[in-house]
Amino acid sequence: MPESRKSRLTRPETLTALGILLVAAGFLIPTSELRPISALLPAAMLIGLIVLAVLLLLADQRKAAAGEEAKPVTQSPKRVVGAFLLIVSYALATDFIGFYVSTAVTIPLVAWLFGYRNPLGLLVATVIVVGTIWAIFDFGMSQDFPTGRFWGR
Amino acid sequence: MYSDLLHALPDVFALTNFAAVIIGVIAGIVVGAMPGLSATMAISVLVPFTFGLEPLVALGLMAGIYNGAMYGGAIPAVLLRIPGTPAAVATTFDGYPMAQKGEGGFALQVAVVSSAFGGIASAFALMLLAPPLSKVTLLFGPSEVFWVAVFGLASIIFLLGGNPVKGLISACFGVFVSVIGSDPIYGNDRFTFGQLEMLDGINIVILLVGLYALPPVIDLLETPLKTGGVSSSKLGTESLWKALPRMKGFWKTWLRGSFLGIWIGILPGAGGSMAAFMSYNEARRTSKNPEEWGEGEPEGVAAAEVANNADTASALIPALTLGIPGTAVAAVMLGGLLVHGLQPGPMLFRDNPDIVFGFMWQFLFGAILLIILGGSLATNSFARLLNLPRPLLGSVIIVLMLIGVYSIHGRMFDVYLMLGFGAVGWVMDRLKFPLPPVVLGLILGGFAEENLRLALRIGRGDPMVLFQNTTSLILVALTVAVIIGPSLKKRFIDSRKAD
Amino acid sequence: MLNIFKKTAIAGAMILSAGAAMADYPEKPIEVIVGYSAGGGTDVMARTAAPFIEKYLGDGASLVVKNMPGASGQIGVTEAANADPDGYTLGTFNLPGMMARTIDREADYDRDSFTYLANVVNDPNVIVTSKDSGLDTLDKLIAEAKENPFAVTVGMSSLGGDDHFALIKLQNLTETEFTIVPFKGSAPARTALLGGHVAMGILNISEVAEFQDQLNVLGVATKERSPFAPELATFQEQGLDLVNGSMRGFIAPKGLPEDVQAKLIDAFSQLSSDQEFLDAMAATANPVEVVTGEDFKQLTSDLYDLAKGVWETTPWN
Repeated sequence: MPESRKSRLTRPETLTALGILLVAAGFLIPTSELRPISALLPAAMLIGLIVLAVLLLLADQRKAAAGEEAKPVTQSPKRVVGAFLLIVSYALATDFIGFYVSTAVTIPLVAWLFGYRNPLGLLVATVIVVGTIWAIFDFGMSQDFPTGRFWGR
Repeated sequence: MYSDLLHALPDVFALTNFAAVIIGVIAGIVVGAMPGLSATMAISVLVPFTFGLEPLVALGLMAGIYNGAMYGGAIPAVLLRIPGTPAAVATTFDGYPMAQKGEGGFALQVAVVSSAFGGIASAFALMLLAPPLSKVTLLFGPSEVFWVAVFGLASIIFLLGGNPVKGLISACFGVFVSVIGSDPIYGNDRFTFGQLEMLDGINIVILLVGLYALPPVIDLLETPLKTGGVSSSKLGTESLWKALPRMKGFWKTWLRGSFLGIWIGILPGAGGSMAAFMSYNEARRTSKNPEEWGEGEPEGVAAAEVANNADTASALIPALTLGIPGTAVAAVMLGGLLVHGLQPGPMLFRDNPDIVFGFMWQFLFGAILLIILGGSLATNSFARLLNLPRPLLGSVIIVLMLIGVYSIHGRMFDVYLMLGFGAVGWVMDRLKFPLPPVVLGLILGGFAEENLRLALRIGRGDPMVLFQNTTSLILVALTVAVIIGPSLKKRFIDSRKAD
Repeated sequence: MLNIFKKTAIAGAMILSAGAAMADYPEKPIEVIVGYSAGGGTDVMARTAAPFIEKYLGDGASLVVKNMPGASGQIGVTEAANADPDGYTLGTFNLPGMMARTIDREADYDRDSFTYLANVVNDPNVIVTSKDSGLDTLDKLIAEAKENPFAVTVGMSSLGGDDHFALIKLQNLTETEFTIVPFKGSAPARTALLGGHVAMGILNISEVAEFQDQLNVLGVATKERSPFAPELATFQEQGLDLVNGSMRGFIAPKGLPEDVQAKLIDAFSQLSSDQEFLDAMAATANPVEVVTGEDFKQLTSDLYDLAKGVWETTPWN
């Protein structure tokens, strides 16, 4: 049975190809404002991307028409999205609350959420990692990590 | 000159100076082995401290770190498919499949011996041939360097993977990223959207960490239930003495890789990653069983690792004699030299022979120490890290990624940029877009453009300036051979089969 | 209206910070923001000067160098311009680059955003030619440029820098035209010269001192011979009124309390007579010329006007 129209459009490769098309076309706008010699290479690459994305789209749709099932990108989308969001919030927390606090919270939190729940192991790992980073970067090399914009300077 | 070389030797063996090399090598291996942390970052963090150190202590540390990190990058490349440094991308091709087959231990031993071989060859080139080789650098003006970049870009053909459309998309993406920043000639900004942080272009480490380290971290966290380690019990380590005989067939690859690494090192700009890619391609092209490459061929690891260490010392040849660094790391080291009043130029060797030649010896000893320190240390202790429960390993790598990227310029902007590339990288990884063309495109795209445009300015717009001398023509011929060579060879073999 | 508000705010801030910073300045470490990576020319200047400034400030003063590289120094200098004017944040300053950036790019600072402390380094421009160009005197070079406009290729570092302004001055003085080949930095430009890929180069004296045997150095753009390489003739000696160079110094945000400003300028002005400092700078290829306070401000202003004038007639991007 051929796929429905909607599911044909939500195949991962089709979506990616459409995404590349949109982004590359979007970048062509600022490219047009550059002087020709500056615009040459970027324009060539963007047009290349557009052509290639169309080829990718056609190939994938042909597969869809042939009834070939698209492989899902992940078995557990919730975990992937969760992991990605956690990483982004870790970066934001570092920026706004400060590096050491965020790190000391993130290591056990991520490990715990994703299935490692031995409290002693979590404590030891966190202390070792944060301690080593502090000893080498802060104490040894006086590197400053973000202290948190939230607290002011 | 050679008497100066010997005269510098006793100082190198002074306790603090030699200890600096040892510490440097160990630190370099550790830094290289941590996904996210790179040699460039480690040395740039170190430079401010070298103000207070004796020159040979400071330089010894840097030489050690450089050598150590070039090998250290292979460890996560083999065990996790995360190249620890940009130059270790080609090491993942065969190193990771070997680890999956339970030969990770052997892969790391091949890597350490090859790295040391390349490092030693490069150190000898620096010690014995620096002045003549710097003359070679002078032959390469903008038009010649442009052709070198094109030659490097042509090798993307071998990195396209199973689906050429996807491979080319990767390559275009990489080249496009390379043009972000200020225009190489006029300095006006391209695609920076007013962000000063992007004016200098996208640092390769930011892209590399995003593309290569984030997807495996998501993988580590994604797989539910499996909370055990990544399987290092099957590392298959044996003693180096038993492993060495299995490497005796690699000498051709080692020599060729060293030659390529040294040659690319003395050319400004491209550096270790290009050396490793080219050495890998050449070794595969001349191999008897090219179809097994990418499936866990130890010689592939040897080819990549020998070349990325062979450009370490040679990258310092143009740096010391002309002030133009051959690699990003050499650029940072040049800063470390300037701090000690060592100004690059022909006078350097005359004015400060003990320090300059001492530094060269330190490179040699750094490479030799690699076998002793890298072999046992790396295979045993680092592999053990992989016994960590997967979620814990994942969260530790996240922290390292943030530190590594933040420390390049000390700003969070780069971290957000890295996360953006990480999201792109994850999609690419899942949809089987090859990643190496992105890396090569980023390294060589802007480099090719800059030199093309400089050449055209020199020729006042006349493109014939690109074909005006023998060096250019040889490079053009080589490029053509790389592009059409394989298909010609295939046709030749096919026609013989048909007979 | 907005202006009045701004002025009151600044006045208020000045009174506040003056009260806080009085008497015992410095009470805590002073941060010096360097807009380049560690190991660059500006960074080396800052780190070399730091202990001497500490010495002249006395009372256990301490200077901490902080690198904020990016956008050819613009990120660091913007940070310094917008810092609290309490004397605990200083910045390095490069001329003419920092002023040129306010013209060819959007910048969050202008020439009035700073308290000018001292310019420390003046690295004069030199004109060099490659050995195989055959143009081994200034006269030959100018004759060739007049005869064949645009035939002489000039390697130098990026547009809108000191090299570029020196070339524009040269072109205006001699009514000649050259083909500019802007490399990314001086070292690649010098290498192209050594290899004979470009005929002429505009560099700085510190960059050619080690290469005098491999290149023809035609002259130095100073009023008097540079102590850095006294054997090289100036252009003025050769009848060409070309004076230009790359300058590096120290600034603070505007609105520094007067006593703090006086104390800092006093410390900087003592650098020029400190032989130990001069030796340390010579060893790191930094020709010293200390210009402090108002004179430094005037120097900056003049360079801004020059750059602005050039930009209006021949914008470079």
